Amino acid sequence: MTTTESDSTRVGPPPPFDPELAAALETMAELPSTITADLIPMMREVMGQRDASDEELTRDGAFEVFERTAPGPHGDVPLLVLKPTGSRPLLGALYYIHGGGMVMGTNRGADSTKAFDLAQELGLVVVSVDYRLAPEHQHPVPVDDCYAGLLWTVEHADELGVDPERVVIGGGSAGGGLAAATTLTARDRGGPALAAQLLFCPMLDDRNESVSARQMVGRGIWDRTSNDMGWTALLGDERGGPDVSPYAAPARATDLSGLPPTYLDVGSAETFRDEVVAYASRIWAAGGEAELHVWPGGFHGFELLAPNALISRTASGPRGPWLRRVLGA
Amino acid sequence: MEDLVGRLSALDPDAGAAIKVIAYFDRLVEGRAGLEPVVRGAVLTGCPARLVDDERGVRVRVDAEGVVDPDVGPPDPAWLSAPLHPGGPPALWLERAGPAGPVEAMVLERALSAARGALARTRGPAPADDVAAVLDAAVDERSRLRAARRLGLGATARAVAVDGGRAKVLTADQEVPATRAGVGPTVPVADLPSSWAAARTALRFAAAGDEQDPGPSVVHADELGGLAVLAATVGPGSEPISDVRDLERARSTAPWALATLVAVATTASLRTAATTLVVHHSTLQDRLAHVEELLGWSVRDPAGKLRLQLAVALRRLHQHP
Repeated sequence: MTTTESDSTRVGPPPPFDPELAAALETMAELPSTITADLIPMMREVMGQRDASDEELTRDGAFEVFERTAPGPHGDVPLLVLKPTGSRPLLGALYYIHGGGMVMGTNRGADSTKAFDLAQELGLVVVSVDYRLAPEHQHPVPVDDCYAGLLWTVEHADELGVDPERVVIGGGSAGGGLAAATTLTARDRGGPALAAQLLFCPMLDDRNESVSARQMVGRGIWDRTSNDMGWTALLGDERGGPDVSPYAAPARATDLSGLPPTYLDVGSAETFRDEVVAYASRIWAAGGEAELHVWPGGFHGFELLAPNALISRTASGPRGPWLRRVLGA
Repeated sequence: MEDLVGRLSALDPDAGAAIKVIAYFDRLVEGRAGLEPVVRGAVLTGCPARLVDDERGVRVRVDAEGVVDPDVGPPDPAWLSAPLHPGGPPALWLERAGPAGPVEAMVLERALSAARGALARTRGPAPADDVAAVLDAAVDERSRLRAARRLGLGATARAVAVDGGRAKVLTADQEVPATRAGVGPTVPVADLPSSWAAARTALRFAAAGDEQDPGPSVVHADELGGLAVLAATVGPGSEPISDVRDLERARSTAPWALATLVAVATTASLRTAATTLVVHHSTLQDRLAHVEELLGWSVRDPAGKLRLQLAVALRRLHQHP
């Protein structure tokens, strides 16, 4: 659970990493546990080098790849569309929001690979949004961009060849937080009804005070200090204060009722563990439907950094079946 | 951020890569990782890998994507491989032809080290330890019977002492290895320590089969009869009797001398001895006349033949104290 009274909970040592993940992490000594603002340009460059080309995105012809733009309150929002080829009927659309701590990443980065795999496996059109990044663009620009892209997706469902009632929103890390925020926005503005939300190790709570956040200082990937940097980039001095909007930090929402079925996953050895568990618990408390997986010994982004580890393969396993059930495939 | 497979397979064969390999497997060991993670670690070289330990019935194959995959046929001898223990059969295979680069060599070494630990922890003691236990009268009987079950033994078995003192436990119908060996009697498994004691005695009577030590290299304890009593009388410090010294002297006079005497001592007739030695009958006669003069007794009459047999047996006991 999220801890706001930091003295009231005894904080033990962090859970051990899964042995294979620990071994993989060991070989990535140059990957810092703590990302500070001065590292942002370098991290953007490194991540950018791994962006998939159009040709890679077609996956040997499995997807048709094209780009669109959505009009948004802060200007046009670039969208990448991956449309399954072939005669198989489409199951729906996945509106996907990439990660990168609010400060880095693009809509064709390596961190989205698993989501694109899922879409390919299920027969979903992907619309991947290139929202503007903090700190150059603080809240509400990123979530407004994401919402604009969602509206475009639903409005263009016919063009995409999908049922507008079968649009699923998803995101990983910062993108998971933005997906949750976009879902709350859609609910509260009477926007499109989403069929499901997929929140992969989402970044939900700017307060950054949970037991798991405190356990992960200087450890693993995206530690408490990195998280502070990311939220501060998005919110400035407001971070952790009394007035942070739930459309910036969904953990701040007082009402989690009326949400679509929600899939959440997180590692037990990462900063976000407790805020993700709390978010799932609060959805259930509000009478909602959620499936939560906490992968033991997983650090943030373990599936991306150690894709071959058994736990990484296991973690990607339940998503497809969940989505099939939710979409009534 | 990069994925690990891409990284390690692209690694230059430099010191940095070796350090990463060491760090990777050290962490697996520290985390008490099982066999699959260890073999998957070997896959970081970019090709499928497999661990085969027939003694423990272990076969783990991981494909290039890191997925555990039942093996598809026997390993290709051209692949890179290394044994679990020095001199043992290949245990860890990288499914790629050699020669091994520095990274592959390091992966083989480190993965095997990690595999040994994981095998000991997850598959119980090494069979060699179980073999030692079933043969040791000092181990309580229940533990010996448990070890016998792990070894897959039935109600009865026999101990075999092979050259160098290594032990094997075989069922009555299992073949004795083709090396210098003493074979104990088949007994109920609880009595294997006595079979082992007999096997070790029998091994002392087994010849190396070369010019220095001609004769049969596999000796069965239950065919020794009274000779077994002799074994107790000859130890590391005992003086050879003069007949043994005479045999040695005969051996030093001609390369064929000892082999000739051993053949005569162990065959039913001179004709058979000549056939065994692949010499003409008359050649054998000439040679025997020569060595009999050296020995000072005839090896062709029954008493002389017994005396020769005892001398040959005693000489072996001195050679293998």
